[in-house]
Amino acid sequence: MITLTLIWIALPFFIGFTSYLLPKLDRFLALLVAFISVGYGLQQCINPSSLTMQLVDHFGVTLIIDQLSGYFILTNGLVTAAVILYCWYTDKSTFFYTQTLILHGSVNAAFICADLISLYVALEVISIATFLLIAYPRSNRSIWVGLRYLFVSNVAMLFYLVGAVLVYQTHHSFAFGGLQGVPPEAVALIFLGLLIKGGIFVSGLWLPLTHSESETPVSALMSGVVVKAGVFPLVRIALMVGELDPIIRIFGVGTALLGVFYAMFEKDAKRMLAFHTISQLGFVLAAPEVGGFYALTHGLVKSALFLITGVLPSRSFKELQHKPIDTRLWIALAIASFSISGFPLLSGFGAKVLTMKNLLPWQVIGMNVAALGTAISFAKFIFLPRGGEEKVRPGFWPGMILLLAGLVVANVVYYEAYTVTNIIKPLATIFLGWLVYWFIIQRISVKLPRVLEQIDHLMGVMSVMLILLFWMVWA
Amino acid sequence: MLEAFVFATLLCGFFGIILKKNLLMKIISMDIMSTGAIAYYVLIASRNGLLTPILSDVKNGTYADPVPQAVILTAIVIGLSIQALMLVGVMKLARDNPTLETHEIEKSNTL
Repeated sequence: MITLTLIWIALPFFIGFTSYLLPKLDRFLALLVAFISVGYGLQQCINPSSLTMQLVDHFGVTLIIDQLSGYFILTNGLVTAAVILYCWYTDKSTFFYTQTLILHGSVNAAFICADLISLYVALEVISIATFLLIAYPRSNRSIWVGLRYLFVSNVAMLFYLVGAVLVYQTHHSFAFGGLQGVPPEAVALIFLGLLIKGGIFVSGLWLPLTHSESETPVSALMSGVVVKAGVFPLVRIALMVGELDPIIRIFGVGTALLGVFYAMFEKDAKRMLAFHTISQLGFVLAAPEVGGFYALTHGLVKSALFLITGVLPSRSFKELQHKPIDTRLWIALAIASFSISGFPLLSGFGAKVLTMKNLLPWQVIGMNVAALGTAISFAKFIFLPRGGEEKVRPGFWPGMILLLAGLVVANVVYYEAYTVTNIIKPLATIFLGWLVYWFIIQRISVKLPRVLEQIDHLMGVMSVMLILLFWMVWA
Repeated sequence: MLEAFVFATLLCGFFGIILKKNLLMKIISMDIMSTGAIAYYVLIASRNGLLTPILSDVKNGTYADPVPQAVILTAIVIGLSIQALMLVGVMKLARDNPTLETHEIEKSNTL
């Protein structure tokens, strides 16, 4: 098992670099690696082996693979496979597939880390690979968006490093469990780094521009998997260190509400999806024990939605209201939107019910409001006119079918959700959301300020968040 | 005393990132901030002693802690490669925005 794990970790990097020697086979090799990850993740989900590997003596360098990682790894494999299928018939160079593989490998590594320094390395490799993917088109805009992302990411990780060494000073080990008895400034610094990387609350406002201005497959990868790499350590820490659990839950609720608030008033399809990612990550954090399943459904849905918006005729909702979209496309869009709104028969329903069951009492109102907001914003997609005819690129449908089938199949994880009381509440929420959309949101047009997304303000917000975190941990 | 200087470096770097308007100066400030973080690791490694921890027949002296030093080597290399990538990006942006003012670049490249 240990050998298998080590091979699975090293494989994407090895194949990524050697695919330069076999450029004709790059897509096949990439797809192969993605499916190997799917297999590994499935095996961890179904048959969790809860493996803990201590790499060296007693400095706390640990790898933990259990069911929680299994869900995240499965998400990673499926989303990467769908994105590669989407790009199959385009003429992306070998460089693109190499970067995708390196990103895939480093995200896998982030999902099994249980110590601060391995996580640091994984997150930095993720930043570099993501930057290269964002800047792939080499236009001015893409280079700027990529640079901004890399900048924010690196500064976040510098704060994280200082926090990590403070933990080492107290415990002489870098393990996650060591966050127990450390001074509050260490926890504040580490959380600052992870919150920024994961796009949580106000520190995650770099996310909308980055995810909406990249190319479609890259947006799908980022929203589907890369942000999960920032959120996963927070979930792990919440499960390991009980006293930090309330803080993480608070951030979960805050993030869910903030993201949904912005998403409701967005007029651009990709930006709305990006704000939604912020909100859904809040759901993952609000109930850490079941965060894995929620992350799986979110990853599948969000990447499906991004891939669909890639083939829609326009990005603005106003223009889309006038051009009917292809019926099959609308069906795929509706399935994905229904899943994220929590409609029964799709795994989003099971995930939402499971999350709601595991909330603490003070979280319930906030999360229900966030769920309502989700239904409202996705009504924008569901109520688009349909009936047109359109030719979509050949690679689109295999990837889409993979993701949507995953959504339906993942239902079996929590089939206990299908009781009458459980079904009524999401249906009522969705219906109420659609009513609010019809009567209120469709009529009004609110332009929310984008000041906080400028690079200077992103940095400034970091210092504010640091002070806020320090106060929260101290209290 | 030394610790205060290291934190001053970190803070100077961070303020430079916020307050400087030129993209190249921001990147250099990020480098200064990373120097501060590296110096802090070396400082913590030297808490126990200052001798290089080499196993030999000489009697045990006060060795420095090798673990933070090893860890920060990784961070130094990662910081270096990120800087190199960012500088290449800046080179490409400089073609159309020779003054590299972030305000101008943002206005022309975001909605």
